[in-house]
Amino acid sequence: MDNDSNQIALAFDRVSKVYETAESGPRDVLDSLTFEIRQGQTIAVVGRSGSGKSTLLNLAAGIDVPSDGEVSLFGRELSKLGDEERTLLRRDHVGLIFQFFHLLQHLTVRDNVSLSAMIAGEKPRDFDPRVDALLDRVGLADRGGDRVQKLSGGEMQRVAICRALLMNPKLLLADEPTGNLDDENGGRVMDLMLSLAREEGMTLVYVTHSREFADLADDVWEIHGGKVEAQSETTEPQKGREQGSKGEVRNR
Amino acid sequence: MTRYFLKALGAHFRAGKSLYLLTVVGVALGVASVLSIQIINRNALAAFRGSVTAVSGEADLSVMGRTPSFSESVYPKVLATPGVRAAWPMYRVEVILDEGKESASLTDRLFMEIIGLDFFAPMDIPWRGTSMDLSSPMETSGWAAVTPLMADRMGWEKGGKFKVASGSRQVDLTVGAMVDFQALSPLASPKLIVMDIGQAQDLFGQLGRIHQVDVKLAEGADVYTVQAALEYRLGETVRVVTPAQREQQAEGLMSAFRLNLTALSMISLFVGLFLVYSSTQASLVRRREEFGLLRSIGSTRKQVFWLIIGEVGILGACGVAIGIPLGYWAAQSNVEMVSATLTNLYLLSEISTLELPFWLYGLSAAIGIGGAVSGAVIPALDISRRDTRALLASFTLHEKISSLAPLSFVAGILILILSSLWYLLGGQAWLHAGFVLAVALLVGLPLLAPLMVREICGLIRARSFGFMYSLKGLGVRLQTTAFAVASLAIAVSMLIGITLMIGSFKKTLEVWIGTSIQADIYITPTSWRGKDGGGTLDPDIVETMTDHPSVAAVDRLRGFRAYTGDRRITLAGVEMGLLGGESRFPLISGDTESAYRQVIEEGAVLVGETLARKVNLWAGDLISIFTAKGEVPFSIAGVYYDYSTDGGAVIMDLSTMSRVFDDGPVNSVALYLKEGYDPEVVVDQLKTSLPGSSLQIRSNRRLRTEVFKIFDQTFAITQLLKGMSLLIAVCGITLMLLVLAREQVSELALYRAIGARRSQIFSVYVGKGLGMGLFGLLLGSVGGFLLAGLLIFVINRAYFGWTIQPHFDGWPILQQAATILGAAVIASLYPAIRASRTPATELSRDQ
Repeated sequence: MDNDSNQIALAFDRVSKVYETAESGPRDVLDSLTFEIRQGQTIAVVGRSGSGKSTLLNLAAGIDVPSDGEVSLFGRELSKLGDEERTLLRRDHVGLIFQFFHLLQHLTVRDNVSLSAMIAGEKPRDFDPRVDALLDRVGLADRGGDRVQKLSGGEMQRVAICRALLMNPKLLLADEPTGNLDDENGGRVMDLMLSLAREEGMTLVYVTHSREFADLADDVWEIHGGKVEAQSETTEPQKGREQGSKGEVRNR
Repeated sequence: MTRYFLKALGAHFRAGKSLYLLTVVGVALGVASVLSIQIINRNALAAFRGSVTAVSGEADLSVMGRTPSFSESVYPKVLATPGVRAAWPMYRVEVILDEGKESASLTDRLFMEIIGLDFFAPMDIPWRGTSMDLSSPMETSGWAAVTPLMADRMGWEKGGKFKVASGSRQVDLTVGAMVDFQALSPLASPKLIVMDIGQAQDLFGQLGRIHQVDVKLAEGADVYTVQAALEYRLGETVRVVTPAQREQQAEGLMSAFRLNLTALSMISLFVGLFLVYSSTQASLVRRREEFGLLRSIGSTRKQVFWLIIGEVGILGACGVAIGIPLGYWAAQSNVEMVSATLTNLYLLSEISTLELPFWLYGLSAAIGIGGAVSGAVIPALDISRRDTRALLASFTLHEKISSLAPLSFVAGILILILSSLWYLLGGQAWLHAGFVLAVALLVGLPLLAPLMVREICGLIRARSFGFMYSLKGLGVRLQTTAFAVASLAIAVSMLIGITLMIGSFKKTLEVWIGTSIQADIYITPTSWRGKDGGGTLDPDIVETMTDHPSVAAVDRLRGFRAYTGDRRITLAGVEMGLLGGESRFPLISGDTESAYRQVIEEGAVLVGETLARKVNLWAGDLISIFTAKGEVPFSIAGVYYDYSTDGGAVIMDLSTMSRVFDDGPVNSVALYLKEGYDPEVVVDQLKTSLPGSSLQIRSNRRLRTEVFKIFDQTFAITQLLKGMSLLIAVCGITLMLLVLAREQVSELALYRAIGARRSQIFSVYVGKGLGMGLFGLLLGSVGGFLLAGLLIFVINRAYFGWTIQPHFDGWPILQQAATILGAAVIASLYPAIRASRTPATELSRDQ
C-alpha cells in the first residue's frame, strides 16, 4: 500500500447493515451506502443518535461485517477476509479513538499507549522510542508512569490518541472523540488529532455532534435514514487554521 | 415487585445460564458432600444398632463378658435375680466363610457371625415361612438358619451345605431354615447365622462357655435397680448394659473415624459455600445497573434486598434438589468402601442398606438454601445500600474490596495468631482444640488472599500481551479473583495437608512395621482379625509349623478383647523372651532393656501409646485389667508405639497371660527361619503340609503388602472428599472467569478492536486461570503445611493417640501441584472460549 493521495483508503459499495431485534423485527441501520475516501482525506460524519454513525465506523474498521455490499480497506475487500485477517489488518493499519477513551485503569499511561504494540508482539526496545515520541508530542512526556485515573478528560483522550497512532496507521477512525470533553479541551483534542493526521498523511474519519468540529474536516457527511444525504466536498483541506505548539489551537 | 421478580429471574437465567448453573452446582456439591457423609455416619451406627435390635430386640439388659467368654453358670444366677422375668443365653462367634481359597487376602474375606440361641427361650426369632419344627436344629449336626439375603447372594438353598472356619477349626453347616432379621430390624446385617446354642458350643470347642445373656425385666421393675443387682451378684468378670449403653460404646469406638469424616465433609461444604458467595457477589456486580435503575424509579432498599435473597433462595433450592440424590448416590457408591473399613477396624456390622431419615432432608435444605442465602446476605445488603449513582456507573466501578484488602489481611493474621496463642496457653487441654485450630486456619487463610493477589500483581510489569499480562489483570477485579483464589487455597490446603499427613503416617507405619514385623513367616487363622479370641490355632497345627526344619525360633501370640474399667482394649500375650525380640515394640520413652526385664520377670505390661494417652497412664503407673479371676493391677513397664488399633492395646508375656487368664490356645504364630532358607519356599511347603486348612500362611513381605492395602482402604473415603473439594474449587475458577469475561466485556472488546486475535484473548484467559491456580497453590501450600502439622501433632494425637513422625516426600506434593494447575487450566478453557468470542462491537454498545 503506497502513500499516493489518489489511492482509495476506504470504499463502501452498496453497503447495508440490518440489525435483528426480538421485539420489533429487523432494523435497517445503513441502506446501500456507497462512497470512496482517498488517502489523506479528512471526513466528518454527523447525524442524529441511532442514525448509524458508529455502525459506519465499525464496518470501516472491520469490527463488524455488512449485511450486504462490500467494504474495501486499502484495496482489500473485507468480506473476503476471515476474522483473523481483518483483525490483523485493523491492528496494523487502523487507529481507533473512542468517546469514552477506553483506557485501562490498571495500566499506566505508558502501558496504555504501548498496548497495541504489545498485542502485536513487538519487543519493548522496538516500541518504547515511539511511545516516548508520541507522549512528548501530546505534552504528556512526564506523565508516563502515572495511573490514568490521575489524568483529566482531555489528557486521557490525548493518551488514547497516542495509543491509536502507535502502530503508524494509515486510517484513523474516531467515534465522537470530544463527546466527553468540555469545549476547550474538545478543541485542543480536535486540533491535535487533525494536525497529527495531516502530518502523517493519514486518512481521518471522525464522528461528531459538533458542527464547529465538523467544519474542520475536508468534507462533512450527514447520515440520515441509513444513507449519506448531505455531502459537502472540498478539494483542499480547510485553510486559515494555524497549528499551535504542543497541540493547542488558535481560532480562526 | 413479585411479577418483576419472576420475569427478571427467567430473563437473567436465559442470559446467563452458565453462571446460574455453576451456582446451583456449587450448592449441590456442598450439600452432597455433607449429606453423603451424614448418611454413611448415621447408617454405620444404625447397622450396629440394627444388628443389636435384631438379636436382642426384646432385651432390657444384656450381660456381656469382660473376658472373651464366660461360664454359662452365670445364666442361672441371672434368672435368680429379682426383677428378671426371663433371660436367654447366647453364644457368639465370628467366622469366615471358607470357600476353599487358602490365600484370601485380609480385605477379601467374608466375615459372618454365628449366634447360638436357646430356641426354647422366650424370644422372638423371625423364622421365614411357616412355624419351625424345633427338633431339626437339635438333631441335625451343623443345622444353621441363614438370612434370605445371604442365601440369595450365595445361592444357598434349604438343605445346602457350606463350610465356615473359626481359627484353625473348620465346621460344616447345613442350611436348615431362613431367619429374616431384617423383618425385625431393616438395618440388621444379613451376615448373621443362627444355630442351637449347644451345637454351636460343641462344634466350636467351647462347651460351657457363652458370650452374652439377654434379660427381660418383670413388669414394673426398674432397669437400673436390676442392673445394679446383676452387677453385684455376678461380679467383675461381666458387665451389665442396656441396649443404649451398648450403642454408646460402639459409637465411642467409631467416634474418631466418624468425626474425621464429618470434618472433611464440612470442609467440602465450606468450599461449596464460598463458591455460592462468589457467584452471588459476581452476579450482583453484573446487575448493578439494573438495581440502580430500580432504586432510581422508586424501589426501596428492602425490596431490592429481598429480590436478591429470593433469587438466591431459589438457586439454593435447585442446588438442594440436585444435591440430595447426588449425596445419596455418593453414599451408595462408597458404602462398600466405608463398610470394609469399619469391618476391618471396628465392628463386624456392615452397612447393607442406606436409610435416609426425614430429618436429613431438612438438614440438606437448611445447608443448601440457608448456606446460599447466608452467603448472599452481605453482598445483598451492600448492593441495596449503595448510592444509586454508583450503581448506575459502568466500566470504572470502584473496587471496595481493594481498599479492604489490608484490613482483611490483618484480620486473617490475627485469627491465626490468636487461635495459636489460645491453644498454647491452655486450649490444648480441650479434646476438640485441634478442630478449633483447623477452623481458624480455614477462616484466616482466605482473608490473606485479596492483599496477596493485589500486591503481587501490582509488582508485575507486563511488557507483552502474554502470561504476565494475564497475571497483572488478576489484581484488578479483586472482588472476583480473590474469592476464587481463596476457595482454591482452602481446597489446596486440604489436599496438601492430608497428603502430607497420610504420607507421614504411611512412613511411620513402614518404620514401625519394619521393627514389629520381623519374623520371616506369619501364620494366623483366616477368621482372626486381631481383636478377639475366637480365631485360635489348634496346638497340633502349631507343632507341625514349629517342627519344620527351617525354623530357628517361634513367637506365639495369644490375643483377645479385655477391659480396663469400661474401656475395651486388645490384650496380647507374646514370647517376650525371644532373643532380640525387644525391638518388636519400640518404646516411646524409657530404657528398653529394663522395661523388658520387668515384663518377663515381674509380670509387668507394656501399654500402647493410644491407650496411654487416652487413660493418661505411663511407665511406672498401674493399669487394672479384668481377668477370669477378677480385676488385677499390672505395673506398666513402658509405653510402646502402637498403630495396630486406635482403641488401645496392652502387651504381656505369655506366661503372665497363662497365669491370670489360665492356659489357652494361641491366635498367631511367627516363625524365624534359619540362614539360607527362602521364606516363600517354606510358605509353600507349610501350605502343602496342611492341605484344606483355613490358615493364612504368609511371608513377611506379603503381610506387609496386605497391611498397607488396609491402610489405603482406610483413607479411600478421604481421597474422595479431597477430590470433591478440588472439584468445587475448580468450578469456582470457571465461574469467576466467566464473571470476569462478563465484567470485562468492554475491555475484551477494546483488545479486539485494537487488533488482538481471538487466540490471544483465549491465551490471556487461560493465563488468568493458571494465575489463579498459582496463587491458590501458593497460599494453599502454606495452609497445607500448617494443616499437616495440625493433623499430625494435634488432631491425630488427641483422637487416636498416635505419634506420627512428619515425613516430607516431595513427589506426591509435586503431583498434587501439577494436578491443581492442570485443573485450573482446564477450568479456564470454557471461559476463555467465551471471552475470545467477545465482539469488538461491544465497545459501541458500552458507549
